[in-house]
Amino acid sequence: MSTINRSVPKVDAKDKISGKMLYVSDLHIDGMYYAKTVRSTISKGFIKSITLPELPEEVTVVDYRDIPGKNNVKMIFEDWPVFAEKAISHYGEPIMLVVGPNKAIVQDVVNEIDIQYTLAEPVFDMVNSVVDYHFTKGNPESAFKNAKRTIKYTYETGYQEQAYIEPQGFIGTIEGNKVHLTGSIQAPYYVKNAVVETLACDPSDVRIVQANVGGAFGGKEEFPSLIGCQLAVALKKVKKPIKLIYEREEDMEVTTKRHPAKITMEAAIDENHHISAIKAHVGIDGGAFTGLSSVVLSRAMIAATSAYTIAHLQVDGDVYLTNTVPNGAFRGFGAPQMIFAVEMFMNHIAKDLSKDLHAYRLNHLAKQHDLTTTSGTFRDPILMPQMIEKACEMSDYHHKKTLYERPGSYKGIGMSWFLHGCGFTGSGEAEHIKAKVKLRKDEQDNVHLMIAAVDMGQGAKTTLMKVAAEVLKRPLETIHFDNPDTDQVPDSGPTVASRTAMVVGGLVARAAKQIKDNWVDGKVQTVHESYKQPEYMSWDQATFTGDAYPAYSWGVNVVEVEVDKASYEVTVKNIWSVYDVGKSLDDNIVLGQADGGTAQGVAYGYLEVMRHKDGKIVNKNMTDYVIPTAVDMAKTETVLFDNPFALGPYGAKGAGELTLVGGAPAVATAIEMAINKRIYKIPATPEYLMELIHSDNN
Amino acid sequence: MVEHVIPKNLEEALKYLNAKPYKVIAGGTDLMVQHRAWSALSPNFKTPLLFCFNLNALKYIKVQNDEIAIGSMTDLETLLDHPLTPEILRKVISVMASPAIRKVSTLSGNIINASPAADSLLALYALDAKVVCRSLHTEREVLVSEMVLGPRKTQLKAHEIITEIRIPKTSFTHTTFVKVGGRLADAISKVAFVGCAQIVNNQVKDLRIVLNAVSATLIRQKAIESQWLNKAPNVLQSQMDTILEAYEAYIQPIDDQRSNKYYRKQTALNLIKQFINTL
Ligand SMILES: Cc1cc2nc3c(=O)[nH]c(=O)nc-3n(C[C@H](O)[C@H](O)[C@H](O)COP(=O)(O)OP(=O)(O)OC[C@H]3O[C@@H](n4cnc5c(N)ncnc54)[C@H](O)[C@@H]3O)c2cc1C
Repeated sequence: MSTINRSVPKVDAKDKISGKMLYVSDLHIDGMYYAKTVRSTISKGFIKSITLPELPEEVTVVDYRDIPGKNNVKMIFEDWPVFAEKAISHYGEPIMLVVGPNKAIVQDVVNEIDIQYTLAEPVFDMVNSVVDYHFTKGNPESAFKNAKRTIKYTYETGYQEQAYIEPQGFIGTIEGNKVHLTGSIQAPYYVKNAVVETLACDPSDVRIVQANVGGAFGGKEEFPSLIGCQLAVALKKVKKPIKLIYEREEDMEVTTKRHPAKITMEAAIDENHHISAIKAHVGIDGGAFTGLSSVVLSRAMIAATSAYTIAHLQVDGDVYLTNTVPNGAFRGFGAPQMIFAVEMFMNHIAKDLSKDLHAYRLNHLAKQHDLTTTSGTFRDPILMPQMIEKACEMSDYHHKKTLYERPGSYKGIGMSWFLHGCGFTGSGEAEHIKAKVKLRKDEQDNVHLMIAAVDMGQGAKTTLMKVAAEVLKRPLETIHFDNPDTDQVPDSGPTVASRTAMVVGGLVARAAKQIKDNWVDGKVQTVHESYKQPEYMSWDQATFTGDAYPAYSWGVNVVEVEVDKASYEVTVKNIWSVYDVGKSLDDNIVLGQADGGTAQGVAYGYLEVMRHKDGKIVNKNMTDYVIPTAVDMAKTETVLFDNPFALGPYGAKGAGELTLVGGAPAVATAIEMAINKRIYKIPATPEYLMELIHSDNN
Repeated sequence: MVEHVIPKNLEEALKYLNAKPYKVIAGGTDLMVQHRAWSALSPNFKTPLLFCFNLNALKYIKVQNDEIAIGSMTDLETLLDHPLTPEILRKVISVMASPAIRKVSTLSGNIINASPAADSLLALYALDAKVVCRSLHTEREVLVSEMVLGPRKTQLKAHEIITEIRIPKTSFTHTTFVKVGGRLADAISKVAFVGCAQIVNNQVKDLRIVLNAVSATLIRQKAIESQWLNKAPNVLQSQMDTILEAYEAYIQPIDDQRSNKYYRKQTALNLIKQFINTL
């Protein structure tokens, strides 16, 4: 077996740690202008009038009338304007940019712009459905008809903010007709395609370059397309280099967040106390525009039974629009909400039936060759029983459980079991992304990875370079991987959906093999590879039937907590994790993903509170939006199981999102044990725990 | 940009203050945040500024007439490590902000910023600390608890600067500090508590209870405290409801982005109860 998992120093580590690395806000172009966004101060209504102050020389205002092409940020649906025209759909909606060479003057102009509105009644509840999906597996109706009893609960999850270290931003230049944007982005070609549509220009007139990215977590998947389009329009009008960088509060108020969700689960229980069928309804709050919400919804729905197999299913889902900040991509992409609901539901069913939680859940665990929620097949071995055993042993789960279950212990140990589908859902890879990679060997026999993958800190550069080096049997120093530039690299797809190591890495490995097989010393050689859907996969998007993913990664999280009797505050003591990511391409990098993912996933479950009041986000800075600091972080211990996937490079599957999706239910079930009450929503804040502890009917 | 001055010594600082209502900047960890502007622009100050953090003559901690005297420009990190710092003050400082912020922030800043959630004030109220306010021609000593009038409101006069914080020497058999802030560093209190007591021969000889973030200013009720002196701890414990009811009248928290009033009130009462039960 390959030893590729042995860790090497991350190729970006030295520059980042030393502070040498430059990010987009560090970039300077002589004579550059600055752009500031003017935003709506209402949640719903119409612009009645805009009164500009007398504009100082060199200050330009850019709005929808300056857009040469479509006033739409190209995604899936056409409902997200680049600049608001008349209608306002959420607080903070961009109306125009003020651009000028002097920041202070630009700021003064922004302050003096007077916008009058006609107010309309905003909608904040999940009532206005714009996407409605539905699928079934087996025969849920008859299973429910034959049920001995049914059990039904509703679960709710809140916003989560990506809280990347570096806010959103771009710097742009224009030369003749050609617009060149450098930005903090996850998907260079998404930005390019969006800008081309907005400018209605030739694709060759748009060049997108990835700046060093200081964290993204999904927040830089689709949102940068909006800023990129706005800046491109401004460049066309102003014809000067322009920088557009968000401030922290602006970023937290107006950029996409994790969708709040409301999930209702109903189970049919048969005469053996087994779950014969589940009906689930998944509602997610899309915010003001649909954006990627339909895709988030489908990933959530497909995870409707997470790591379990249930024979009969009926899964419905809706994306609701509300007059709030648009929600979007975030590590896990719908799965964290669903997996929270599934894990709590399994526990609540077991409790209602007075069954041992552990044994009851084990009885329903998915096995190789079982049918997935969408009636596809779990083709590859599932190591969950061994992984669960390992997690129990590491954490001393069973012993602690007996101790902590005693009333009044205020201690708890919780566990979650989960999977994550790797890569795009359904035929997304084959039909929409169609990833292409290019490898170029130069005269010095250095090999350059010409791909659009983005290293946002997760280690994509190091791991993909290692894959090429390992295939070529060449030293890592001879492999090069620059930040993608759409003028140089083909579209290997966005860096999202836990697809980069598995899909792009797989293509890199194949391309490297081609070079190796045809290697001529000192000769320039270029090879191409493109994605082919595995032959066994079939997917019907209309009915959600077939193999939703080429492969699944699996995980177990165990979380131990203590709840303070006076303040109801939760202290996370320990986190143990076991993951099957196929094959680790670098152990330290995967363990880094594990620590960061559990930190973010567990905090989603008990700590991170974001709310809006009348459509305005109230937790809009890092003081009021509490994420764990280094001193809050529990001790972690992570074990990786090898379970190589035939089509991933050296067997690798996805690792980035898996480590987040199980955190919330693990901490929530631990808290349930500690306070001996049931939790139906996250974050399980001390305020919520106080209510539960003081309530008799829970 | 507004006028800003860096005085060389206290005398010069006092002269500037006498001439104009300069705003004193100590560490600036409140002021710079409150006046933040678009990155790379100067902060939005409207009043002229007097930078005092380099007045080295105001950086000390010493014993003086049975009191601990702390120069007003002494940073919190220094206090954290200093053997003269009273134990309860050290406990509070240890969870304030984070090391970098503590290195450049001061007690006088925390006092004059007058936040209902100010943490060092818990200890300063409990210890009956005083501030020395000086102007070119005057000097006065005021209890910290009297200095603070309301949120962001103090009785500091325009031409005054705090030069020293004075803490009477005390001894306690019990000191407790609990900060409820969501996380362990860089957190603003949802509610926080300091309790100090001196128990001699099973009699409560001294009792001090302070709460922050549950009313416009911190709560310390000496009248309630004195009612329970010279009694055995189990007397207090058996009359818990009476004690809690007395405090409840003063606990008037609000809802905000960090918590809600029900939680703040319940937790404040729980913390008082928990402390009294440990006596
Ligand atoms: C990230 C972060 C975390 C924080 N965490 C906490 C926390 O956990 N708990 C907490 O209580 N606070 C916290 N704070 C707030 C702040 O750090 C404290 O209030 C600190 O004590 C302020 O001191 P300073 O010297 O920086 O004050 P400055 O900002 O310099 O001044 C604050 C006010 O005091 C006045 N002032 C200062 N010194 C004098 C003087 N000698 N005479 C007259 N007036 C004076 C100033 O004019 C101003 O009005 C935090 C702040 C940040 C940025």
